[in-house]
Amino acid sequence: MPVISLQNVKKIYELGDNSVHALGGVSLDIEAGEFVTITGASGSGKSTMMHILGCLDRPTEGRYLLNGKDVSNLPKEELASIRNKQIGFVFQGFNLLPRTTAAENVEVPLLYSRPPMAASERKARAMEALDSLALTDRAEHHPSQLSGGQQQRVAIARALVNKPSLILADEPTGNLDSKTSIEVMRLLQGLRERSGITIILITHEAEIAAYGTRIISVRDGFIVSDTPNTPVTAALNLEGEPAAEGALA
Amino acid sequence: MNGFTHLFAIASQALKRNRVQTTLAMLGVTVGVCALVTSMALAKGAQESIREQLLAAGANMIVVTAGNYQIQRAEGVSSPADHGSVESPSANPFVAHGGVSRLGQTRLVSRPAPRFIKAHFEDDPMAIHDHPTASDRLGDSMAGLGSAATLTLEDAETIRSSIQGVQFVASGVHENARLTVASDETKQWFTRLHGTESELPVIRRGWTFPYGEFFSQRQVANNDQVMVLGRVVADRLFGQGIDPVGEKVLLWNQPFEVVGVVGSRSWASQPVAGDDQFDAVYVPVSTVHSLLNLSKLNTITVTTKSAGETTNIAQLIVSLLRQRHGISDQMPDDFIVKSQAQELLGDGLSPELARIVAGNLATMDTLTLEQLSESLQRANNTMLILLAAVAGVSLLVGGIGVMNLLLLSVTERTREVGLRMAVGARGSDIASQFITEAVFLSLLGGLLGTVIAVFVTMSLEGIFRWSTEISIASIVIAIITAAVLGVAASVYPARRAAELDPIGALQHE
Repeated sequence: MPVISLQNVKKIYELGDNSVHALGGVSLDIEAGEFVTITGASGSGKSTMMHILGCLDRPTEGRYLLNGKDVSNLPKEELASIRNKQIGFVFQGFNLLPRTTAAENVEVPLLYSRPPMAASERKARAMEALDSLALTDRAEHHPSQLSGGQQQRVAIARALVNKPSLILADEPTGNLDSKTSIEVMRLLQGLRERSGITIILITHEAEIAAYGTRIISVRDGFIVSDTPNTPVTAALNLEGEPAAEGALA
Repeated sequence: MNGFTHLFAIASQALKRNRVQTTLAMLGVTVGVCALVTSMALAKGAQESIREQLLAAGANMIVVTAGNYQIQRAEGVSSPADHGSVESPSANPFVAHGGVSRLGQTRLVSRPAPRFIKAHFEDDPMAIHDHPTASDRLGDSMAGLGSAATLTLEDAETIRSSIQGVQFVASGVHENARLTVASDETKQWFTRLHGTESELPVIRRGWTFPYGEFFSQRQVANNDQVMVLGRVVADRLFGQGIDPVGEKVLLWNQPFEVVGVVGSRSWASQPVAGDDQFDAVYVPVSTVHSLLNLSKLNTITVTTKSAGETTNIAQLIVSLLRQRHGISDQMPDDFIVKSQAQELLGDGLSPELARIVAGNLATMDTLTLEQLSESLQRANNTMLILLAAVAGVSLLVGGIGVMNLLLLSVTERTREVGLRMAVGARGSDIASQFITEAVFLSLLGGLLGTVIAVFVTMSLEGIFRWSTEISIASIVIAIITAAVLGVAASVYPARRAAELDPIGALQHE
């Protein structure tokens, strides 16, 4: 069973008399453990796709099955609960809460678990997630005290803390320099290899897209190509970089 | 419970992040609650003070005086009282006919130009003496003003034990007496002497003891030669500001030890020369009885537990004493029962207050202390409404401050709201977070305001001598108001936050 199955999904925005077809009918299956990168220029519809995949928005037409369950027409509350349990988000701008420690930031999704989770368990799970990203010693730091790469790692820890089946990364390297971008991409690759988590990453950079196992190009609301890919291993670029090794450990 | 600690955790995290704004918004609530609690404390204090003052002035007091007399209203001609020729109650309004006599009131009604009499009317040199003079009534058992000996200690005991609603009873004998300081015989003072019991200070609630204290029950039982000086007497005999406790004063050539000085704490009666309370000395009634070889009482002073029952109880006392004295229905009382307003207007009520009372009431017949207290209460309530309005406005401003903070923070934290929604927060979670923040903020502000109000009222009391009283109820009201304010101020911002679209919110710059 695919983790994600889009069946002729359309998204149409009504703007006055015009209707804009952000997605013109997309069908797509993604299996567990794939690292799918979606590329496209701005306005291509990749963001809309991302929002629908992330259950932040509902398709106008078509069906979206997430882990076999049709989520196309669920009410907002149930979508929230699906986002909480099954999807981990990584954003371009990190979206960490300012003046809040890394540990508290990682805890945020757990605050909305249903039934509520005990404070001690929340703490333990947040630390566990930080541990897995080698951020234990940064747990009490505020975002402003962390580098961009570290901030994005905290954000990834937050995405992982509820043990989702899917990670949705929206331009995760957009705010990072190229060296740190590579670190983050290697990190995501490592995650997939070790835990078999499904990753969908949106980018407009071909270099970044090359880290995926499958590359989908989107243009004008349609999928124009969908090809398997041999992921780039950035090992050559990272030789003698202990920080990156640490991040992967 | 878990859900709540949860919400609290989220809210306190968020509040901590915006310390300056949090503090400012909280201050708004603090000021409002502080004003509210303080004004309530002042209002309560004023109420208590009015009640105290009225009780202190004798609102719940009944005085039974031995003997009876009446005044013939024959154009300034005075004649001895003659109960045989009672004509009609309107022609002889002073007859205490099985009821409470209304001495002070009738004087005002029957005189063409009512005048207030400061103390005892015999003291007024301008007064036309339309009542029996001392020489008229000497030896006449029906010619009262306390000269007749119709009351006994047993009467007092029966009132004490058989009438419900009676609080304290003190029997008394009253004489005029010349006092001499034992150590300096040139210092003399002619004053009123009251033989009484140790309960008198609890009856005269307006008394304070600048020096020493009242004599004890044991001293009464032992017929001790002890004496409490009224303020005026103490000042005349020993000088102002001098503690006379322990000094010896000669009365009937007997040495009496001074054990205390009594002053007034009520604005309704201040010590003046010639008054009956403070230009007077008090000795145990038993001592007077044994030294003068007497057994009768001049007065019995009674207080009631509630001021409203005074008239009723006065009537009970009348019928009880008539029965005990074996007075048939046709005969007038051989005693006078005076209560409340008559007492007040007769003596002790300050001229200012008397003028207010007289100015406000068409006829003195309708005067009751409840009405007097009501009119003071009304003035006080006006003040209270004003204070409450000020407090209400400051609370409103505080509430607007909280709402402003929240609205600002909804805009400022749009991305945060978007993120929380993306990671699984529902609209209701976001709304409860903002409401919890506001309630937490307001409660904290409210508590702080209450604490400050306690200090403020304490200093008002200390510095300006205003009477205040912070009740538990007012604190509870303040805290509840603060919490309600928090909820009210946060509903709109919380709804706005909850209705944000997560996609738009996440892209918000």
